[in-house]
Amino acid sequence: MKTVQAKPALRDEGAKLGFRLTLPAQILVLFIAVFPLLMQLYISLTDWSPLSGTGWWNAWSMWNNFANYTDLAVDARFWSALKRTAIVMIVCVPIEFLLGLALATLFADEFPGKRIFYSILLMPMMVVPAVAGYMFFMLFQSGGPVNDLLSAISGMPVTIAWLSDPTLALIAVMVADIWQWTPLMFLILLAGLVGVPEDQIKAATLLGANPWQRFITIVLPKMKTIIIIALAIRVIENFKIFDTLYIMTGGGPGVATETISVYIYKLTTQDLIWGYVAAIALAILIVLSIAAVFAMKRMARAREVPA
Amino acid sequence: MSAIHLQNLVKKFGDFTALKTMDLAIADGEFMALLGPSGCGKSTTMNMIAGMEEPTSGKILFGEKDMAGVPMGRRGVGFVFQNYAIFTHMTVRQNLAYGPRMRGAPRAEIDRRVGAIAEMLQLTPLLERKADRLSVNILQRVAIGRSAIMEPAIFLLDEPLSNVDAAFRAVMRTELKQLQRQFKQTMVYVTHDQLEAMTMADRIAVMDHGVLQQVGTPLEVYNNPANVFVARFIGSPGMNLLKGKPAESDRGLVVDLGPLGVTPPLPDALAPAVRATRGDVFYGFRPEQVALSDRGLTMPVSFVERIGARTIVHLGDGESAVKAVFENDVGLAIGQTAIVAPAAPSVRVFDAATGQAIKAD
Repeated sequence: MKTVQAKPALRDEGAKLGFRLTLPAQILVLFIAVFPLLMQLYISLTDWSPLSGTGWWNAWSMWNNFANYTDLAVDARFWSALKRTAIVMIVCVPIEFLLGLALATLFADEFPGKRIFYSILLMPMMVVPAVAGYMFFMLFQSGGPVNDLLSAISGMPVTIAWLSDPTLALIAVMVADIWQWTPLMFLILLAGLVGVPEDQIKAATLLGANPWQRFITIVLPKMKTIIIIALAIRVIENFKIFDTLYIMTGGGPGVATETISVYIYKLTTQDLIWGYVAAIALAILIVLSIAAVFAMKRMARAREVPA
Repeated sequence: MSAIHLQNLVKKFGDFTALKTMDLAIADGEFMALLGPSGCGKSTTMNMIAGMEEPTSGKILFGEKDMAGVPMGRRGVGFVFQNYAIFTHMTVRQNLAYGPRMRGAPRAEIDRRVGAIAEMLQLTPLLERKADRLSVNILQRVAIGRSAIMEPAIFLLDEPLSNVDAAFRAVMRTELKQLQRQFKQTMVYVTHDQLEAMTMADRIAVMDHGVLQQVGTPLEVYNNPANVFVARFIGSPGMNLLKGKPAESDRGLVVDLGPLGVTPPLPDALAPAVRATRGDVFYGFRPEQVALSDRGLTMPVSFVERIGARTIVHLGDGESAVKAVFENDVGLAIGQTAIVAPAAPSVRVFDAATGQAIKAD
C-alpha cells in the first residue's frame, strides 16, 4: 500500500523538478516569442504609432475597433504586394528546385574537377544578401555586364533599362534570388540523393528499368521527405524575400517589385503606422504558420514510411 | 535455361588485380557456389556475370552468346542482393510487378504473372503489404520472386544469408534449395560460408586471391582437396597438415615428421607418386578421421573444446598442431598425452613446395 501511495507523490516531485529545470528556458521563450506576439496583437488593435507621444502600453486609449484589419481587407497595395510575392515564389522556387535537382543528379556521380565546381557552386549561398543585391544592381545597369553580354550575343548594342521597367525589374530580382538560393536547394537535394540506396538502383537496372524510369520509380520516391523539407524551407524563405530585392530596386519602379516584406518595411520606416504594420505582420504569420503546419504534417506522414 | 562459360576472365581495378584468371563452365540448371574468403574475387566474378562490371579481359558466354557489351538490364539475369535491395517504398505487389511494368507489359498480364509468382512463393496474402516491414525470409522470397517473374535463365545470389542469424539460416537454406528445384534455373551462389556451399550447391568453385583453386562436388572438394588452401579452408575445423620428409621404412613409405616421429605407412596407391616428389611434403588428414590408438602420433593435449556431443581435442602447438574431432567425450584432459592414428584411407599428401595435392596414379 505504501508504495502505491508513494507513486503519485514521486511523480509530482519529478514534475516539479522538471518545471524548475526548464524554468530559464521557459522564461526565455516567454520573452522572445510569446511576449512580442501578444504585444503585436495588442498594438494591431489600435492606432498607436511612435509619433503618438505615449508608450505602447498606453495604446488602449487609441483602440480602433479592428479598423486595421478591415483596412487591410481592402488595401489594394497590400493585396498586390501579396500577389507579387506569390508570383516570385511560384517562379523562383520551382526553378531553384529543378536546377538544384539537376545539379544534384550531376554531382551524385564522379567527374574530374568535381570538388572545385562544388565549391564554386556553393559560393552564392555564402555571399551576404545585401552584397548580392548590390552585385546584381550593378550587373543589371543599362550600361552593365548583362547588357554587354546580350550585345555580344545579338551583335547589336543592347541598352535595356532592366531595373526601370516594371516587368524586367521583377525578372532581374527573381534572377538574383535564383542565383543565390539554388545552391541551398542543390545541397539539400544532394544529401537526399546520395542517401538513396545504391543496390536498389542496381536492382531496378537489372530488372530492366532505364535511367528515367529509375529516377521516377526509385530515386524520387526515396527523396520525398527531403524534397518536402527543401521546398518548405525555400517557400518560407522566399515569402520573406527582402534584402537583395530592396537594394536592387527598393521595391520600384513605383511599386513594381514591392513584396510583402518591402511593403511592411516602408510602412514601418516611412509611414510609421505601427498599429497597421502589426496587423499585416500578424495576418502573414498566421498564413505562413498554416502552410508550415501543412508541410510538417506531410513530412510526418512521409517519415512513417522510412526509406 | 542457360549454361555459363567463363573464359580467361581477368579483372583489374587500377593496380589491384581482383581476379587473376578464371575459367569455369557452369552447366545449364546447375547450382554452383563460388566459395572463398573475403577478397578472393568471388563477388567480382558474380558482378561481371551480371554485367555490373566489365571484365578487363576474357569472355563471358551465356550458352553460345558472348555477353561483352550487353548491358545488365538485357542479360536476362536475376540477381538477389546481399541485403535483398527490396524497394521499401512499394508494396510486395509493386515489387513483384516492377520488372514487367518497366518493360511495358499490359496490366492484365502483369496481374496474372504477379498472381502466379506470389502463389508459388506463398506471398499471396502479403501482396498489399508495404515492403519495409517484412521478416527476412519473406524479404528473400520477394527478392527471388521479383527476379523470377522475369523468367531469367540465370539466377545470381550474392551472400543472401549473411545478414541472417544462425538459427534462421538453416531454414533459409532449405527454402532456397527448394526454390531452385522449383525454378530449375542455373544458379550461381556467392558465399564465404562453406556450410551454405556444402549443403546447397551441386558443385563448388573454391577461390582464393583471385585464383580458382578447385571445382568439384561438395564431397570431392572435401575428400580430395586439390591443394593446401582448399584442404585448410574446407571442413570445420580444416584438414590437419604436418610438414615432413618422405622416408622408407620396413612397413612401407612413411613421412618423417621430425620430432613427432614417423607417420603410419602411406597407402600403397599413394606411395609411388610421393616417392617421385623431391623435397618436403604435407601429411594431411581430416580431424574427423582420427582414432585414439596405441600406435601413431604421440602428442600432448593442449586444449579440449566440447561442442555438445562433439569434442575437439587440440594436440601439440605451432607448426605441428593437430585437431581431432570425436563424436563423444574421450576423457582426455589438458596436459595428458594422446596417441592418435589417422584412418589410412583419409590420408592425403601435398607437395610442400607447390602446395598441390599428390595424387595416386
